[in-house]
Amino acid sequence: MNELQRERFEEQLHSLAKGLDYPRTPNVTDAVMGRLRAPAPPRFLSRRLAWSLTVLLVLCSSLMLIPSVRAAVIEFIQIGVVRIFRAEPTPFTPPNQELPSTIVPITATPAPTLQPLMPILEALAGEMTLEEAQQAVHYPILLPSYPPDLGQPDYVFVQDADGAMIILVWMKSQQPDRVWMSLHLIPTGSWAITKMGPTIIKETTVNGQSAIWAVGPYPLQFSNGKLDFVRLIDGHVLIWTGGEITYRLETDLSLEEALKIAESLEPVR
Amino acid sequence: MDEAALILHAANGDTAAWEPLVLAHQEAVFRLSYLLLGDPDDAEDIAQETFLRAWNHLKRFDKGRPLRPWLLSIASNLASNRRRSAGRYFAALTRAFRNEPTVSTSTEEKSARHLEAGELWKAVQHLSLPDQQIIYLRYFLDLSVMETADVLQVAEGTVKSRLSRALERLRGIIQKDFPVLAEWREGPGT
Repeated sequence: MNELQRERFEEQLHSLAKGLDYPRTPNVTDAVMGRLRAPAPPRFLSRRLAWSLTVLLVLCSSLMLIPSVRAAVIEFIQIGVVRIFRAEPTPFTPPNQELPSTIVPITATPAPTLQPLMPILEALAGEMTLEEAQQAVHYPILLPSYPPDLGQPDYVFVQDADGAMIILVWMKSQQPDRVWMSLHLIPTGSWAITKMGPTIIKETTVNGQSAIWAVGPYPLQFSNGKLDFVRLIDGHVLIWTGGEITYRLETDLSLEEALKIAESLEPVR
Repeated sequence: MDEAALILHAANGDTAAWEPLVLAHQEAVFRLSYLLLGDPDDAEDIAQETFLRAWNHLKRFDKGRPLRPWLLSIASNLASNRRRSAGRYFAALTRAFRNEPTVSTSTEEKSARHLEAGELWKAVQHLSLPDQQIIYLRYFLDLSVMETADVLQVAEGTVKSRLSRALERLRGIIQKDFPVLAEWREGPGT
């Protein structure tokens, strides 16, 4: 580009960029000022503990606004690093109704703001080959041998989640930009994942070990002591443990198929 | 009270002085976060976190500097970290399992200008993160070269050279993958 072309290009960029349709700016001010003016936690608590308690309190208070959760948020099931609070299997409050402000309704995200997965996969840290991933973690990476034609994952990531977590992603063969299945291998001590009152919770077993099948929608909380956030999730997930690893298989397949996959795990050849 | 005086009061712990500053800059911070993350909920999280972090570090802030570039610098760093976080991946992955989103009526009814601006945004998203940051600051948020340099904490000359390279790359992407914008770029007046 010569100088003139560049100036023209810049003018056009300026002009066109002004036309971008941004979402309405939320009221950040009230949220920030509310957090700044909140009473400080007692001094005898560590910052980490105080933060965890605050998040838990806010989360529980928010969830109590949801009738189905208010009915029965007492009992929970723990599978590895995943904790699922039981709730009555009644339909979840539709996102356009009274949803607590701490819960971010993914399913309510307007279509124009939905992001394709591929750029996020491409931007996700820790992508490497399966061999590199195996060298990066201290535990054996197990791969499904079912279905027989599954093959190796299309994407392999090692993420620092306060423990080296492996994420394996298989894309749909007919739609290579769509995910068919993902498998997370989460070592003990990593991020704690909490599900609150999935629409369906079914207790099952994988290789004789307790397992959970959860069907959304449900609020899902991620926390690692430094960061917490809540999302409304609509997905089918099978969770089980093997040794110190928690496995989380996310797919749109049936429970029966998911179990076959889970029970077919074997070390990388 | 002007911005410098409000910053001074806020740095001494006066939350009431911080409130108008948050109000004045929340839109720019939110929009930059949204441009970098593409998700309004993530952007709102980052905007809140930006103002909380800034509050906590106000004592160390040079009161003679304008506040906006510093806030945008914090937001840019936080958003960059969030782009690569495991939690965001989980959320995106879950969305990917659902059916393809239907095009809403409001989208269909958007003006051609909005749609073109949306296409431009998509084109910019094909660039590396540093290229995206500089283009968002300069052209989408309309910052001057000096302000952009302040946000990125580099010299103005560096901003100019980086911009030049980023624009070349953007032009290449538009020509290759965004024919509608390429027509616009080559259209009348060029």
